[in-house]
Amino acid sequence: MTSREKLHLPEYRKITLPNGMTLLLMEQHKLPLVSFEAILRCGSTADAPGAEGTASVTASLLRHGTKTHTADRYSDVLDFIGGIFHAGASADYTSISAEFMKKDLATGLDLLAEPLLEPVFPEEEITKVLRQRMDGIRAAKDKAQHVIAAYFNAYLFQGHPYGRAVGGDEESLTHIQRDSIAGFYRDQYDPANVILAAVGDFESSEMERLLGEKFGAWPAHKTAPAVNVDLAPSQKRRLLLVDKPDSTQTYFRIGNVGIARTDPDYVPLMLVNTLFGGRFTSLINSALRIESGLTYGAASTFDVRRSAGPFYIASYTPNATTSRALDVAVEVLKQFHRNGISEQQLASAKSYLKGQFPLRMETSDQLASLIAHLESYRLERSEIDELYGRIDATSVDDAIRAIERHYPEDDLVFVLIGKAGEIGEVASRYAARMNVCSISDPGFAPRTVVDAAPATGPKLR
Amino acid sequence: MKVDLLKNGMKLLVEEDHSIPNVALYIFYRVGSRNERPGTTGISHFFEHMMFNGAKKYGPGAFDRTMENAGGANNAYTSNDVTVYHHRFPPSALETVFDLEADRIENLAFDLDKIESERGVVSSERRMSVDSSNAGILDEQLWAAAYIAHPYQWPVIGWMVDIENWTVDDLKRHFQMGYSPSNATMVVVGDIVADDVVRLATQYIEPIAAHAPPPKVTTREPEQIGERRITVRKFAQLPILMIGYHVPETSHPDYYALRVLQTILFAGQSSRMYHRLVDRDQLALSVRGSMQVALDPTLFIISAQPKTGVEPAAVENAIYAEFEKVKDGGVSEIEVGKAKNILLAQFYRQMKTDNGRANAIGTYQVFFGDYQKLYEAACEYERVSAGDVRRIARVYFEEKNRTVATLIPEAKVPPAAPDATPA
Repeated sequence: MTSREKLHLPEYRKITLPNGMTLLLMEQHKLPLVSFEAILRCGSTADAPGAEGTASVTASLLRHGTKTHTADRYSDVLDFIGGIFHAGASADYTSISAEFMKKDLATGLDLLAEPLLEPVFPEEEITKVLRQRMDGIRAAKDKAQHVIAAYFNAYLFQGHPYGRAVGGDEESLTHIQRDSIAGFYRDQYDPANVILAAVGDFESSEMERLLGEKFGAWPAHKTAPAVNVDLAPSQKRRLLLVDKPDSTQTYFRIGNVGIARTDPDYVPLMLVNTLFGGRFTSLINSALRIESGLTYGAASTFDVRRSAGPFYIASYTPNATTSRALDVAVEVLKQFHRNGISEQQLASAKSYLKGQFPLRMETSDQLASLIAHLESYRLERSEIDELYGRIDATSVDDAIRAIERHYPEDDLVFVLIGKAGEIGEVASRYAARMNVCSISDPGFAPRTVVDAAPATGPKLR
Repeated sequence: MKVDLLKNGMKLLVEEDHSIPNVALYIFYRVGSRNERPGTTGISHFFEHMMFNGAKKYGPGAFDRTMENAGGANNAYTSNDVTVYHHRFPPSALETVFDLEADRIENLAFDLDKIESERGVVSSERRMSVDSSNAGILDEQLWAAAYIAHPYQWPVIGWMVDIENWTVDDLKRHFQMGYSPSNATMVVVGDIVADDVVRLATQYIEPIAAHAPPPKVTTREPEQIGERRITVRKFAQLPILMIGYHVPETSHPDYYALRVLQTILFAGQSSRMYHRLVDRDQLALSVRGSMQVALDPTLFIISAQPKTGVEPAAVENAIYAEFEKVKDGGVSEIEVGKAKNILLAQFYRQMKTDNGRANAIGTYQVFFGDYQKLYEAACEYERVSAGDVRRIARVYFEEKNRTVATLIPEAKVPPAAPDATPA
C-alpha cells in the first residue's frame, strides 16, 4: 500500500448494533495482535461539581471486580495471556484500550467485555483505589511537569467544565462514594454512546459476530452526553504562581483558549503550529533552546477537544533566567503576529507534516484510536485520505488568517510553578492580576483570588 | 534482513517494511558514560547534543533544518554504554539523511559559541531529569553508592560541575575516541529498497576512514561484600525507596532467567510484588523492577513509593519477604508460563513500529553480539525453568549484594537551598 503522494487509511467497516453501539473493524495482519479502543462520550465534564474525578475513578474501577472475576482473578487472567487493559478518562471521554495476542482472543474478548458490561464496584476496591489516587496526587505534586497541565487548565478554564481536574483533587476525592460511582456507570455507560474499534489480526466477519454476541444484549437507555459550550478566550492578562520551594527551575505555560477538533481551521493550524512550536526547529524552540540555551525544550500545543481546548506554550528554565525566558516567549508570539509566515516556511511545514503524519497510523492500537476518535467527532475517513490534499491546498493567506484568529497576542494566561521566594517579584511583572498558591495546598487552583498590583509584588504564604 | 559490512568497519542491517511511507534509521555508537573519566563525566551525552550543532557542509542549525524541511525528525539517546542517533523520515528523504550523517561523522565542527549555549541546554536537562525529580536524584545517588570502581558510578548526564567545566579539547578527544565508523552499527527499517540503502551507505559512509576504537574498559566492579545504605533528605510529599542488586551484563547466560524473575515479580497487577505491596498490604503506591541492557555487570533496581504514613522500612521488609519466598518456595510453573506469555507479547509490541524494530535489532547486535538473538529471544525464554528462577534469586538477591537508597521528605527547604547537585 506504499503511496508516496497520498495517504490512505486502511479499509474498515462500520456496524451499528441494534442498541446503538458503533463497531469499527479493520483487519491488519502484520503481527499476531488484536487491539481495541472503546470511546464513551462521558468524561470529566460529566462529573458532578464537587465530585471531580468520578469519571476517572469509575474507569479505573471497571476491572476491579466483575460478576465473573474478582479484581485479583481478573488481573491473573489478563496477565497470564500477556494482555493489556487500560481504562481512563479525559475531559470529553472515557476510553478503554485493550490488546491481546491472536491466540488468546477468546479470553481477551471476555476481559474486554466484562468490565464494560458487568462491573460490581466492590466497596473495598473503591476504598483502595481512592487512597491510591490521593497519594498519586501527592506524588505527582513532587514533580512540577506532572501537574502543570492541571494547574493551567484549572486557571484558564475557571468555571468551565474543562477547568475541572480530570483525576480529581485531594478534596473532591473524599466526596466520591460507591453510590456516585455506580450512579455514574448506570447513567453514562450507555451502548448508544459507545464506539468500539477493533484493529488487528482477525477476520472482519468473524469479529463482527463475536462482538455482536458480547455487546448486542447490552441494554440502551439513551443518555444524552454532556454538551459543553466553547469558552470565550480570556480577556486581559492573568498569572498564577504555584510556589514549589525546592525548585531549581521554573516550569511555565502561557496561553489562552484554542480550538475544537472540528474547527475548519484545523489543518491550517496544524501547519502553522508546526512552525511556531510543533517541531525542533520551531520558532519557540529556536528562541528558547537553540539560540539561547535557556531550556532543554520549548513547544506549543493546541489541545483539540470536542469544544475549544487550551492553547499553550510550555517550557522551563533555571530560576535565574525565568524573566528572560518569559520575555522571549512573549516576544516570539508577538513577532509571529507581526511577521506572519513565508511561502518557504509554509512549504517546509507541509513537507514535515506529510513526512511525520504516517507515524500516527503505524500500529494496530494507533489505528484503533484514530478511527474511534474520527467517529467520535463524526468525521469521515476522508479526514485522513484527503489530508495531504488539504495540506497542499493551504495558502500563506490561510495560514496567516489562522494565526490572527487563533493565537493570542497580548491577552495571555500564565501559570508558573517555581520557587516563589526567587521568582515571585519577576512573575508579578507579567500580569496586573496575579494569584499565588502553594504546591502543598490541596487542589490545583488558588483558594483566594488576590489581585496584586504589579508594583507591590506577590503575597506569599 | 540485508546485512552488510562496509570497508571502514561499519555494520549495516536493513529490513524492508512497506506498511507506511516512512523509514527509521538508527546509528549505534559503542561509546557512552562507561568510556568517560572523572572530571569529564557526562561528555558522551553532551557530545550527542553537539552532533546536531554543525559540521562542514551543514553548518550550525542546518542539520535539523534540512532534516525537517525534508519531512524528517530526529532524536538521540545516550546510555552508560552507547550513544544512539535515530531518524524517522519519508522515503524521499533517504539520500538527504545519508548526506547529513556522512557530513557530521567525517567533519564535525566545534563551534565555541554553540558549545556554550549547549552547555545551558544540558544544564537545564539535568535540572529537569535530576534536580526536579526526586526519583532522579535518588537513582543517581544509588548508582554512585553501588559502584566504587567501575564507571557506572557516575550519571550519564554527568555531574553539574563537569558539565560546567569541560573544554573543546575534551570534546575533540571524545570524537576521536568514540566515533570511528568501525565503532558503529547502522540499522534501517521501513519503506525502502534494501539495495538502495546499501548503495547510499557505500557512496556516503564507506569513504570515511576508520580509526582506533575506544580503549577497552578493563575495570570490573569488585564484588560487594556488605549492604550499603544511603539517604537523601529533601523537600517532598512522599518518600521513595530504591534497592539495587548487582547482576551480570546482558550477554551473560543468566540474563533470560533474570527477565523471567523480573516479570513474575513486577509485571502486571497480578505480579507478586504489586499484589503484595500495592494491593494486599497497601504499603506502596507503586513498585517497579528494572534492569537495563548493559555491556558490563549492572544493577537490578527495585523502586517503590511508600504511601502516606507508611514507613519506608515496612515497604523494604515486604520486598525482602517476597524475595525470600522465591528463594525458599520457588515459583510455580503457571507463573513461569505467564511470564513467558508476557515476554512474548512484549516482543510483538516492540516490533509494531519501524523504530521499535530498528532499536531492537541494533540493541541485540550491540549488547548480545548478534542481531539474530532478537529472533531467538522467545526460544531462550522458553528454556527458562522454575528451577532456574529460584537459583538466580538465591545467587543475586542477597543482603550483602545490595545498596538501599531512601528519600526522606522534609517539610521545609533549608534557607540557603543548596543546588541539588552533589559535589
